[in-house]
Amino acid sequence: MLVRKLFRTAWSYKAQFISMIIMIAIGVGIFLGFNIEWKSLEQDAFTFLDDTNYADFRIYSETGFAEEDIKAIQDIDGVDAATRYFNVNVGIKETKKSVALNISENYTVSTMMIMDGADYDKDSEGIWLSDKFANANSIKIGDELTFTYTGIEITGEVVGLVKSGENLICVADENQLMPDYEAFGFAYITPKTLKKTLGMAFYPQINIISDIDKADLEEKIKDATGTTFLVTAKNEHYSYAGVMSEAEEGKTMGSILPVLFLAIAILTMVTTMHRISVNEKVQIGTLKALGFRDRRILMHYTSYGLMIGLVGLVLGVGLGYLVASLIISPTGMMSTYLDLPAWDLVMPGFCSPVMAVMLVFLTLISFLSVKKMLKGTAADALRPYTPKAMKKSVIEKFPFWNKLPFGTKWNVRDIFRHKARSAMTLVGVIGCTILLVGGLGMKDTMESFLDLLDNDISNYTTKIVLSESAANEDAIALADDVNGDWQASSGISYEGKTITLDIYCTDGGKIGFLTEENETMKLTDDGVYLCLRLKDAAKIGATIEFSPYGSEETYKVKVAGYTRSLVSECIVMTDAYADSLGIAYHIGSIYTDMESENIKNSAIISGKQDKNMIMDSYDTFMEIMNVMIVVLVVAAVVLGIVVLYNLGVMSYVERHRELATLKVLGFRDKAIGKLLISQNVWLTVIGVLLGIPAGVGVLHVLVTALVSEYELSLTLGIMTYMVSIALTFGVSLLVGLMVSRKNKKIDMVEALKGAE
Amino acid sequence: MAIVEFKDVTRVYTSGDHELRALDGVNFTLDEGKFVVILGPSGAGKSTLLNMLGGLDSPTNGTITVNGKDISKLSNNELADYRASTVGFVFQFYNLIPTLTVYENVALVKDISKDAIDPKKMIAEVGLADHLHNFPSELSGGEQQRVSIARALAKNPKILLCDEPTGALDSKTGVLVLKLLLSMAKNYGKTIVVVTHNQNIAKMADVVIRVKNGKIKSYEEQIAPMNADEVEW
Repeated sequence: MLVRKLFRTAWSYKAQFISMIIMIAIGVGIFLGFNIEWKSLEQDAFTFLDDTNYADFRIYSETGFAEEDIKAIQDIDGVDAATRYFNVNVGIKETKKSVALNISENYTVSTMMIMDGADYDKDSEGIWLSDKFANANSIKIGDELTFTYTGIEITGEVVGLVKSGENLICVADENQLMPDYEAFGFAYITPKTLKKTLGMAFYPQINIISDIDKADLEEKIKDATGTTFLVTAKNEHYSYAGVMSEAEEGKTMGSILPVLFLAIAILTMVTTMHRISVNEKVQIGTLKALGFRDRRILMHYTSYGLMIGLVGLVLGVGLGYLVASLIISPTGMMSTYLDLPAWDLVMPGFCSPVMAVMLVFLTLISFLSVKKMLKGTAADALRPYTPKAMKKSVIEKFPFWNKLPFGTKWNVRDIFRHKARSAMTLVGVIGCTILLVGGLGMKDTMESFLDLLDNDISNYTTKIVLSESAANEDAIALADDVNGDWQASSGISYEGKTITLDIYCTDGGKIGFLTEENETMKLTDDGVYLCLRLKDAAKIGATIEFSPYGSEETYKVKVAGYTRSLVSECIVMTDAYADSLGIAYHIGSIYTDMESENIKNSAIISGKQDKNMIMDSYDTFMEIMNVMIVVLVVAAVVLGIVVLYNLGVMSYVERHRELATLKVLGFRDKAIGKLLISQNVWLTVIGVLLGIPAGVGVLHVLVTALVSEYELSLTLGIMTYMVSIALTFGVSLLVGLMVSRKNKKIDMVEALKGAE
Repeated sequence: MAIVEFKDVTRVYTSGDHELRALDGVNFTLDEGKFVVILGPSGAGKSTLLNMLGGLDSPTNGTITVNGKDISKLSNNELADYRASTVGFVFQFYNLIPTLTVYENVALVKDISKDAIDPKKMIAEVGLADHLHNFPSELSGGEQQRVSIARALAKNPKILLCDEPTGALDSKTGVLVLKLLLSMAKNYGKTIVVVTHNQNIAKMADVVIRVKNGKIKSYEEQIAPMNADEVEW
């Protein structure tokens, strides 16, 4: 019989039960969703990187490595495998498309995974092409492709469709944020084809698989080859770094948001279970008087918490896998970024214990609420619960208090009398505002970032990419010819980190620079500019030291200022300053206002990119962003409605008798409704006032954690504030109306019966 | 002059197939300024009658005229205005707002009644001038009921409706509250209708209406009602 009561009672508290279940399900869903996301990402990506013998270390030499070099490195104790490697971006003849061309000399490191077609064969002259690029461009096995590179042509038949760890994130250069398989892919050919085309074996890179650490390896390579090469570890390579940073984002999302939701779920549980056990006190007493043992009664009421927790958890687990599969699946959001063969979902080990603790905790809450009601004799338990007697609060000491209308006094005292309920309402409103400000602010921030990139930093129409062999004099002549600015980028080692040194000639103003406050600035010729990520490394006027990649020379330079570098972590200087230092550089790109069709072909040009194409690659990124923002806004509204409705109903039930009395006295329904809503409105005002700064704070954490690879400035448009405030108030008013409509249905006669 | 007139008033409650005739063709009139007691066992329909008169409920059939106005077919808002202007209620369990002080509970009616009487004056008249700023939970039951009487009268209604006003009080306190209620109603010239099953209260009434099974069993005018002190409690 008690079981029957269990379900009937649960039904009579359906609003409370459903809202708690929703809160728990959302909390658990987001918790699991993002944690499954990063764990699956790590596991799926690392498995794939292992399967394709992804290199742990890379060393570079512009003049190419000799056969003795690779032999010496292969013999190093602790090096598991090593190969000479060639990797360059080449165009596809008669199209604007290009691919990253890969050759792994002995095919033990940086290999492919064959998805379709022929296995790798070192004697073949075929092309193994990225399956995604092939799909996007309707290229089939058996088709013939011709690659062009500074006047050289390589023609071959597509023999296989592949994926590769080396090209896990398939982008042309660091300016491209997201892969665009229609425009850019990757391909492998054999060393035989390379040798046939070039007439010699040229490998400017060696890829190594090894467990030893970077400094150790550097030392051993120096001993083995007699030359110092700069070693870059896998966490400096974009494939590995991209996966790690995505996983890091998932970890952040999986810890901040669920804490908010789960905390609210637990608080809701505490207030609601207290309310329910108060309402049920007489019944608890009756059961006790009938002769049920305390243990039975406790178990009965505790099972409410268990039931809510279980249903919430089951729904939450389903929701979690759904959220994760939106991101991690062959068609999920992550598939536009990473090119993985398998998308398996994996739950991190700590999730199950966390959920078990949640369940125990929720059950414990209902256990404790009932335990309190069971205290004393059966007669005590039978007496209805009496709320704390009214006491005057501090506010009433102020003289203005007496001038307030009675409705205001009533509401203020009610807020203080039911502190837990009021606090919960506040938490709900604050949570709602935080999510809205955070979500919409993220969009503002990203949009202003793209706006800066498009309008203030990139004032050019076309970027000309120069070949590695282009001489600086030819490059400068070309730049003069197209009235363009030029840039020379190279890797340097600074404070143990590998970062970029960018040397610019910006006489034509095609490239702009920004201060930390996003104002345009002019570079001076008397020092270097550090990007904001390096701001803490040195003060203005200080002297810093760096050494170019693969060179033992060090340069001492003065810090002239800081500049916002939207994409790369870099040190920037003018060409005049670079010349005064005597630093060697190689001009890699020219920025011009000429349309790419009007630029004459030349042996030194290896490619041309329209700025619009680069900007388009951000669109996919923005689409993912927009999905996230919709999720956040929906979550905010659901959170707001669920928490406020639950509390609104509770407050309505608690004041049922008082409302009926007002009604009997002759107050109209509307006046009573206004009373109920105005309490909600005040709490919402306070909640919004607290929630907006909190939202800005959370946004700050999200921006630094989620997009640490870019230097974003926190931007919040006036519309974001207005929409956040309007939506929060909208939710609060909507719930207020839903609750206050109930007062029309108050049966005055019923409500006034019975003891107080 | 008749202030209240019930004409063929019927109230049927239906729940599912079940029909309950709480009032079944009730007819009576009440004159202004009289003390009326409605007697009857529980379930007889006396509370239903009082709720109709108070505008808390509307009849299924028939008309109720109060102070020259038909209230049997009013809208929700019109009923609220009727309750605000014409009737004052005193309940068995006082029904004070726990979060408002004594003064505020009475002053509340100023929001809905145009010719409300000064709350402080009313509270002084029920003898609680020293408790103006106490909350209801700080008062005894008798004191709370006195606040409730002050609140009902402060609206300056035509009729005072009392549902078992002494039901929750011990008999000594009950008599004191009843005496206060009657003397104040007399002073202000109010018609007062009390629903009870206490026969003793009926001895003091100008009119005694006995209700049974939803019908009026008897309507009795007492020419010489007893004084509260003459009744043996």
